[in-house]
Amino acid sequence: MKLIAELAGTEHGLIIKIEQQKVFAEIHGRNYEVEIRERNENHYLLLEGTRVFDCRVEQTREKFTVHLDRNEYSIRIIDPKRLSSAQSGSRHDHGAVEIIAPMPGKVVRVLVEAGAAVKAGSSILVVEAMKMQNELKTPKTGTVVSVNAEPGATVNAGDVLAVIE
Amino acid sequence: MFRKLLIANRGEIAVRVIRACRDLAISPIAVYSEADAAAVHVSLADEAVLLGPSPSSESYLSIPKIVAAALKAGAEAIHPGYGFLAENPDFARAVVEAGLTFIGPRPEAMEIMGSKTTARRAAMQAGVPIVPGTVEPLATFSQTKELAEQFGYPVMLKAAAGGGGKGMRLVHSYDELLSAFETAQSEAAAAFGDSSLYLEKAIDRPRHIEIQVFADTFGNTVHLGERECSIQRRHQKVIEECPSPINDPELRKRMGAAAVKLARAVNYTGAGTVEFLVAGATREFYFLEMNTRLQVEHPVTELVTGIDLVREQINVAAGAMLSFRQEEIGWHGHAIECRVYAEDAENNFVPSPGRISYLRVPSGPGVRDDSGVELGSDVSIYYDPMISKLAVWGRSRDKAIDRLRTALDEYAIDGIKTTLGFFREIVRDQEFIAGNLDTGFISRFKQRRDLATANTPESEGQIRARDLALIAAAIHYLRLQRETSQKTAASPGQTRWKMSGRRAVARGKAR
Repeated sequence: MKLIAELAGTEHGLIIKIEQQKVFAEIHGRNYEVEIRERNENHYLLLEGTRVFDCRVEQTREKFTVHLDRNEYSIRIIDPKRLSSAQSGSRHDHGAVEIIAPMPGKVVRVLVEAGAAVKAGSSILVVEAMKMQNELKTPKTGTVVSVNAEPGATVNAGDVLAVIE
Repeated sequence: MFRKLLIANRGEIAVRVIRACRDLAISPIAVYSEADAAAVHVSLADEAVLLGPSPSSESYLSIPKIVAAALKAGAEAIHPGYGFLAENPDFARAVVEAGLTFIGPRPEAMEIMGSKTTARRAAMQAGVPIVPGTVEPLATFSQTKELAEQFGYPVMLKAAAGGGGKGMRLVHSYDELLSAFETAQSEAAAAFGDSSLYLEKAIDRPRHIEIQVFADTFGNTVHLGERECSIQRRHQKVIEECPSPINDPELRKRMGAAAVKLARAVNYTGAGTVEFLVAGATREFYFLEMNTRLQVEHPVTELVTGIDLVREQINVAAGAMLSFRQEEIGWHGHAIECRVYAEDAENNFVPSPGRISYLRVPSGPGVRDDSGVELGSDVSIYYDPMISKLAVWGRSRDKAIDRLRTALDEYAIDGIKTTLGFFREIVRDQEFIAGNLDTGFISRFKQRRDLATANTPESEGQIRARDLALIAAAIHYLRLQRETSQKTAASPGQTRWKMSGRRAVARGKAR
């Protein structure tokens, strides 16, 4: 089984074979023989020889977050056999920047209107969550193409609140 | 002593007060909002009263609802915890008017210290040094602009009614002033119902050191030494220690005396904290504000002095004398606390609400975890994102850091982002280990770290750990694939549409 695992912008080729509790894997020519012990549905104890790795795997959208020892790895698994159109259409922007709500919250102020010219670093709107007001700023200088939120509106993490071009 | 006590708070501090109640054989009564119906603090109480909907303005901030809850449950006293109504003199007054005991200072002392302008005036009168700044609230933006130029940038805008970093902005230059002024005003209005601001000169590389004071109703006022709280993000503390790494008994004595003098000047009773800025180089100290309540970071003082501050608060409120004299207070060893926030430290400390899907709490010698959550708890968007406080004690600062490192590595919280990973790096930072702290620590720490990671090649152990993480992700991916295909195979021809149709039929039958 061949997979590609993307971590922090780097793709790693991964050959993996699972036989019951044993895993054989090769990454960049390094060979691993690992024994799996399941602690629960997403919590694994991996033993490589005598070395113990306590791993928890969380699924978040299209990624897996692996907690291993005291570190956290955000990994995307690409399965060449199942590569769908959804993944192949790379979303390279056309110079437009989306101002995205980083957390669920409430819009308290909108500081710009569509059509306004904005400088990199200037505030676009203010979102309140957990009693903190967060100014969302534009990373680029340009024109406000659209503002999709009104003061008082409740927003979710990932919502596009404004577009700057 | 009281038989029943209502805790007008939630989360870890409600749990902390419940524990003190249990020690004193007092029956604890919890209050809760709809979002907290199944919260830990409710489960640990003897009785619980629903206040109302989840927004704090309709629950934990509603004075009439809380007083009514106390009367309904037959409480004799109310402990406000910190945050919410803890420093609201109207609340303290309403509690007393209802014939109950408020666990905290008199409303008059809260009023003086509650407004930064009157607090600064009180400090000046008591002969306690203050940071140059305005004594009256700012009237207009143009006045603010003039004053900022007069003090010279950088300046600090602060909510007159403020605390906890809300309604507070550091302004480096005129360009930032208007936006900071407006945001601070509206944040202050939202958090405290009062938008007035004042302006102060910002001190270069200041340490934030505070003195714990305690007073009873018999005129005894003492201090329990200092806490260093210089490591802050958004002007909110994240790591606190006792004693300060400066560990200067002479400075402690002078700051302690100043704090006691100020507390006496306002006839203070109960637990309070006098905050100072200490200039890094000269060790001159300036009064910042007085918090008329228990502090989040009280555990470090408790660990080093051995005194239970919450128990003492309840005792003093019940009319007892302080159980210790100034000369009986000793500082033994060193304690450090980390505030565990549901926040993404790598993304500007943005709040990260969600459900806790895995939890492993550290323990062991000298380790204390004051927590308000458990496995399966929902961290909601409505309240402060602090979920627990990890505090450790060691015979020396170095030994305390060793224990903190071990405890942080053991601590695991999945399902939400937390500041744990960030703390794990800080306890390994050479400047932190050396005790070189000031309120700009975090931003310089981040620069140091970025530089270090860019210049250090990966070690063999790191490569192996990373490979194993990739393998774990692949194992989990393949397992999910297998489960999906098994499910499909097990239910041939069943579509979602059919399933929902069947469910509708089943529901119809049930009626």
